[in-house]
Amino acid sequence: MKDVYLILKNLTRKPLRLFLTVFATFIAFMIFGTLTAFQQAFDAGVDLAADDRLVVVNKINFTQTLPIAYVNRVRAVEDVVAVTHLNWFGGYYQEPRAQFAMFAVDAENFLTVYDELVITDAERAAWIANRQGLIAGKSIAESFGWQAGERIPVNSNIFSQRDGRTDWDFDVVAIYEGADPQTDTNSVYFHYEYFNETQSFGGDFIGFMGVRTTDPERNEAVIAAIDDLFANSPAETETVPEKAFNKAFIEQIGNLSLILTSVVLAAFFVILVIVGNSMILSIRERTREIGVMKTLGFTSGRIFRMVLVESLLIALIGGMLGVAAAGLMVSLVNQAPIQLPVLVLGGSVWTQALLYVAVLGFITGIVPAMNALRLNIITALSRS
Amino acid sequence: MRGFFSQIWTVVVMNVLSLPRRLWMSLAAIFAVSVVVAVLLAFLAMAKGFEQTLAGTGTDRIAIITRTGSQSELNSSMSRDTVNLVATAPGIARDAGGDPVYSAELYVIVDGIKRSNQLKANIPMRGISPRGFGLREQLEIVEGRQFEPGRNEIVVGEGVLRQFEGFELGREIRFGKTNWEVVGVFSTGGSAFESELWADAPTVQSQFQRGSSFQTVRLRLETPGDVQPILEFVENDPQLILDVETEADFFANQGRALTGIAIFGWILSVVMGLGALAGALNTMYTSVAARAREIATLRAIGFSNISAFMGTLAESLLLSVLGGLAGAIAAWLFFDGFSASTLGASFTQVVFTFELTPELFRDGIVLAVAIGLIGGLFPAWRAARVPVVTAFQGGE
Repeated sequence: MKDVYLILKNLTRKPLRLFLTVFATFIAFMIFGTLTAFQQAFDAGVDLAADDRLVVVNKINFTQTLPIAYVNRVRAVEDVVAVTHLNWFGGYYQEPRAQFAMFAVDAENFLTVYDELVITDAERAAWIANRQGLIAGKSIAESFGWQAGERIPVNSNIFSQRDGRTDWDFDVVAIYEGADPQTDTNSVYFHYEYFNETQSFGGDFIGFMGVRTTDPERNEAVIAAIDDLFANSPAETETVPEKAFNKAFIEQIGNLSLILTSVVLAAFFVILVIVGNSMILSIRERTREIGVMKTLGFTSGRIFRMVLVESLLIALIGGMLGVAAAGLMVSLVNQAPIQLPVLVLGGSVWTQALLYVAVLGFITGIVPAMNALRLNIITALSRS
Repeated sequence: MRGFFSQIWTVVVMNVLSLPRRLWMSLAAIFAVSVVVAVLLAFLAMAKGFEQTLAGTGTDRIAIITRTGSQSELNSSMSRDTVNLVATAPGIARDAGGDPVYSAELYVIVDGIKRSNQLKANIPMRGISPRGFGLREQLEIVEGRQFEPGRNEIVVGEGVLRQFEGFELGREIRFGKTNWEVVGVFSTGGSAFESELWADAPTVQSQFQRGSSFQTVRLRLETPGDVQPILEFVENDPQLILDVETEADFFANQGRALTGIAIFGWILSVVMGLGALAGALNTMYTSVAARAREIATLRAIGFSNISAFMGTLAESLLLSVLGGLAGAIAAWLFFDGFSASTLGASFTQVVFTFELTPELFRDGIVLAVAIGLIGGLFPAWRAARVPVVTAFQGGE
């Protein structure tokens, strides 16, 4: 108990230095918490991808189209539960800069394949019945201020109607939510029939297909069966698990994980050096005092433990405050009206942070603690 | 007055010469600033490199025509009739034979395997005619030869070669059911066109089921920068729903795509800078404490407190500027000229190189000086107020 008192006295003997080292630690952990939340949000597309879902795209590239006749042929493949098809619409709302992800889909099967998008059965029935209806994700609806029941115009930067107009009228039938807090709700889906009948591009083509299989174990067989069906046709297909597709897609932007990890590492390294140095310094200043404590009968082990606990405490206070501040940052970013994935600062970040607190506290404390442990009473007391 | 400055100079020199006594503390402060500056410059060099690649792609001697609202070459489309009609517009430069100088082009996306992660990424394949070659500045076939019209042959940009596998000279590439042969490599002096594959336009039309349609028209302007006659021509014809822009404007817009990265870099490094600032303050307060007797002694023999103030401030600035320089040099060594690619406006990979320009270098040093200034100010204030009596007391 007496040790706790001594440790606290030691910690607060130079309040300014304590504040500065804790502050430096705080900054490092705030950067860690915020960037990890970003990284997890970017990875969510891969982590949340359904294992029993495949994506069928044109083998040349996923922006090349496929004939709509393919859909029924894939539906007949063994172990396929449901198939839907999607066309990128290139939608924007009111001004060309306000682009968002909008797809023309086959509404009947769409929500069976993508069951993480949640709307009520009544809303689903209403959507299927309304040819001009669309369903919008919660996040995108909030950023444009759309309400269910509203009628809105949406423009396409790719397609035009037969009369040359590039805007289409839609009824917002429902706002869907994600089954998981990190499910992407920045997309909008509407009827393929409405798209196919009104656009002037020449019809009956689709962008890609989403396929649900009976069991992830059967994926490989289904992939082979689908790609065999269309081998040597003018539009060969390439079928991949959704996880792999999403991973390749996000990697097109660049190696975000590498960038974020490097930055976090750099921040930790800087703080390690700063805090480590200040710990060494503050123990060196106490050389005489430690000599006196040893003379009074404090064992070397006890002093060693006290120094280590001191550096662990600095890391713990700074680290926990830093992650808490990161939580605040994350909620600020989530409220900002920008199309970003939902950031979540979950338990895994706190656990990781605790681990880093322990590592940081140990590394910055071990050298001064060893010095204190080895300190010879005579040398300590003779040093002025 | 001379005495005033020589006092300051003496104290500054004393401070600097005593640095080795506080070696580790000083090195920690230098290191912290250098990492912060290196992080900032890495992000800024990335954004700047992307911007300069796209800015270097466009020229105001060329105009680009896309379908209204399409925002990118990929989304645009126009029929052969539209192309023929717009080619009759005034304001287009004419060649020796009196024909307008223009090139109707296609822009399709194919897959390539990125060297960095072995994953598929989007590469643009441009259907182009020999006339289109004449509309690119600094174009040079650096290896092999030009493709022959009517054949499944492609020439690849140097950027594609750097970032992607399997496009080396002589290689066969399969797109869908057809094979294409790489017959040449071209360079356009580092512009975004080097991220593309080029092939004969009519061949691309037939192999990619595009009928007789095109996506964009490029044309040489009679008067550089003046698209007005063409714009008026388009506006007066209700059949033409087209945007007309100089190529320079078109690509400058796309080059701003990574501005967000630069802002992110600034926010991040300023936050990290606060951490480094804490380190700098710690170092300087320690330095003042360690030299308290020395400072007081100087005061006792008649040095002004301003000289004590300036000495500490100079020491702090020196450490942070050293850190800033070290960080900038590290960033330059590691990142300048680093080749990367990311998704551009047309949903395809744009190959670019990080660019550490003198302005960015200056930004890095400014950040370092700011840390040194703030980190030195408060300790310097304390140094200036060290009581003279300290000189005659024992201990620290």
